[in-house]
Amino acid sequence: MQQYVTLKIDNARVKAVKGASVLDAAMASGLCIPHLCYVPVLKASGACRLCIVEVVDNGRTKITASCTLNAEDGMVIYSNTERIRKLRKNIAELLVAQAPNSRAVQDIAVRCGVKEVRYPFRNDNCIQCGRCVSYCTEYSKANSLGFVGRGKNRHVEYPLGFRRDLCKKCGFCTEYCPMSVTPCGGPMKAGEGRLCGNCDSQIAAMEHFSGICVRCELGKGFKCVRQTYV
Amino acid sequence: MIMTALNSILKGRRSQPHLLIEVLQDAQDLYGYIPEEAMNAVSRELGVPLMKVYRVACFYKAFSLKPRGKYVFTVCTGTACHVRGANLLLDQVKGQLNIEPGETTEDGLVTIENVNCVGACALGPVVIQDGAYCHHMTPGKLRKAIDKSRGKKKKERAHA
Ligand code: FES
Ligand code: FES
Repeated sequence: MQQYVTLKIDNARVKAVKGASVLDAAMASGLCIPHLCYVPVLKASGACRLCIVEVVDNGRTKITASCTLNAEDGMVIYSNTERIRKLRKNIAELLVAQAPNSRAVQDIAVRCGVKEVRYPFRNDNCIQCGRCVSYCTEYSKANSLGFVGRGKNRHVEYPLGFRRDLCKKCGFCTEYCPMSVTPCGGPMKAGEGRLCGNCDSQIAAMEHFSGICVRCELGKGFKCVRQTYV
Repeated sequence: MIMTALNSILKGRRSQPHLLIEVLQDAQDLYGYIPEEAMNAVSRELGVPLMKVYRVACFYKAFSLKPRGKYVFTVCTGTACHVRGANLLLDQVKGQLNIEPGETTEDGLVTIENVNCVGACALGPVVIQDGAYCHHMTPGKLRKAIDKSRGKKKKERAHA
């Protein structure tokens, strides 16, 4: 028999299957916490930190990623406080600065309230969300992609730099990659990073109804978790 | 040849993925670096995906994927050693051997590496010469040590 826990997310009582993450619980009950690296079938890696929430613990609040946080009975979670919004906006800005060439990242940033990016654009075309790597290792079990290197040299690579023969050619690494959708204005050249302004409607919607899905069209090639629930 | 030597390393350790680092360390000691064949063999015998073997081998400074020189000088550039002038040591070797840290001289004799802290901060700046810790290094001492290992006498250098 399935066991359930009840927790409070943004003052709403939410019932969740025991063992589910807070993000899962929120999504299942129709509350969207912005997230990027999380893919429902895969183990959450907590790489992008976009899904941060405030957890009340003994009267103090703690900020942590909700995709790696197990839902427990009696938990009190706030996903949309002033503090969270500020932090999340900053994280989103950093993500856009790292890889401005992705519509998915830009859309999420806009949803998080980013109106301009204060950091220099790096045009790295990879935010190291690890979606491709976890799919390759966990789901298709090909183990042909992985993170190599440390610190600022960390990057995704084939084993030994070239062993593509391990690849099963399932193509899901590109399918899940947030970089696979370029901004509406086409790919950017180095040095001319911009925040795609075509989604102003999203900002407007965001300000009025903070928790709702703004149909950000991330589905195309990016697979918003939301789509699996509607 | 690689396989016979590896067999002795792998003996009694097959199919035990948790021994990966140990095995790689032994392979590193044996060859001076980790050859590709060794990585393939380790991955096969221990049952660890090749990606993981490669990732671990890339992560630790103790493993090198390129053949190393006969003499390896490891300069510590950790915080304490940096404060005490490790960058002068690096400048010294760069000027003397014309190579960057991580590279090997063309004759395959000397390799210079840098690591971040070897755990002997009080003795800094530290240079490890083929496994032996040399404390309180100065550019002068380092120059002599390098010359010695390359088999050059002081006089020779003066004439050169
Ligand atoms: S979705 Fe939770 S950290 Fe990326
Ligand atoms: S910094 Fe060099 S030994 Fe610690």
